Amino acid sequence: MDSWPMSVDSPALDPPSVPNGGDEPKHGGYSRFELELEFVQSLANPQYLNYLASRKFLTNRAFVAYLEYLQYWARPPYLKYLTFPTATLKMLELLQQEKFRQDIISPDLAQALMAEGMKTAVEWHREG
Amino acid sequence: MSLSHSELCYPKLSSNHMHVHYLVQEQERSKTYAFNMDKDLCTPMGELLDCRFERLEKALNVMIDSLAKNTPSEKLAEELVSAQEDLNDGLKLLERHQNNYGRIQQLRQETSLLDTQIKDIASSLWNMRKELKAVPTTAHPMNGQRYRFTTAELLAYGRRISRNTLPPPGVTNGVDMSTPEPSQTTQTPFTSFNTSFNGTVGTPGPMSATPNTTLDTQTTSQQLAAAKPNTTEAKLPQHLKPAVNPLHNAAFQPWPTEAQIRSGGLAAIQRLVDAGIDPRGYDPEEEERKKQAEEQAKKEAEERARQEREAAERRMREERERMARERERARQQMEGGAGADRRDSVVGAGPRASKPKQFTFLGADDDDDEDED
Repeated sequence: MDSWPMSVDSPALDPPSVPNGGDEPKHGGYSRFELELEFVQSLANPQYLNYLASRKFLTNRAFVAYLEYLQYWARPPYLKYLTFPTATLKMLELLQQEKFRQDIISPDLAQALMAEGMKTAVEWHREG
Repeated sequence: MSLSHSELCYPKLSSNHMHVHYLVQEQERSKTYAFNMDKDLCTPMGELLDCRFERLEKALNVMIDSLAKNTPSEKLAEELVSAQEDLNDGLKLLERHQNNYGRIQQLRQETSLLDTQIKDIASSLWNMRKELKAVPTTAHPMNGQRYRFTTAELLAYGRRISRNTLPPPGVTNGVDMSTPEPSQTTQTPFTSFNTSFNGTVGTPGPMSATPNTTLDTQTTSQQLAAAKPNTTEAKLPQHLKPAVNPLHNAAFQPWPTEAQIRSGGLAAIQRLVDAGIDPRGYDPEEEERKKQAEEQAKKEAEERARQEREAAERRMREERERMARERERARQQMEGGAGADRRDSVVGAGPRASKPKQFTFLGADDDDDEDED
């Protein structure tokens, strides 16, 4: 998926306001809150990250800045809107590291992340 | 000693002496009793009783002696009585003493009981504390920020995310199968269904019954993907095909699937961009509404125009009809007027054909219109 022109110089935005039924500006029918929520959760999919890496997004400075900006999802009141919290927060954390951003271009790593994520999802509750 | 002495004396004693003797026996008994119970008591009480008893014994001996010698003395008798009363007082004191002692013992018992209770409670508290400290808790970053939330919020959130954090029971098998652990591959009815499903499609995925095949396909797909990373999006690894297959009910992923991503809002925006529409401020629903409203307005305008046209046509038609009727009537009037003139000459004036009407021709026409309305 291509994105519209990005610039490192564009001013950092404040996180979007939590939906309150008000009249927010829409992008293609979606509010910024909805789009960023969708995107930050899509980042939880290792394969999508691999795809983004293969399209050189993860080496784009503006995109990296955007990833940094997206960290507001790890804080209230946004945190509670994540429906895939475990993987989303982990990936968001990993994506702040340059090494991970470079390594995820390897399909083997994406594969391993998927296998591990699945295994954890099935087995995490068996520990107790 | 005194008892044997009394027994020896007993046969010789008078009834009065017998009474005294009985008293002595009684006191001896109570004294023995008292001392048995009082063994570990402090001595002053025992000494007190001892000396009072000795005094009575002495007085009694003197009395017996004096009686034996046949020289009774009132003084001796009084001494005996006072000694007797003294001893009685002492015995009462002893009774109180014994009661108090019993009470002290009881209280001591109670305190020791309570002491053990306190010890028990303290030790159980200690144990509880130890257990509590042993309970593993989530490690909170001490320097991190703390957030407030209510139990209701937490439960609601738990309910919302549960379908994404734990696979439903039926899916667990599928997930185990999809992880590269051939030892865990067990044939269940569920997976056999998947096998047959995959079989018809002709893609030997990880759900196939032979684990070796699964591993082989995985490695080859990985090699392919490694060779051409740009094609990963177009060609998914074999074992992931079921996960993006909407017909495959056994798919569980702890993150949004590719199908979900592809059907989301970002994809919709991409489609707008591809169509050459700037998505900023563009709302398809809003546009749809606007379009509909425009169409509606257009339709209404058309409808109005049509109605106006029809109304005009109707008016014109009515006008034409009216004109036709008027012409017809005028013609009849003309003909009738001519006839009436002829009849007038023959029959005379009829009820309707009055002369002045002939002169107010237009006025009669107005009357006719009103009648029609």
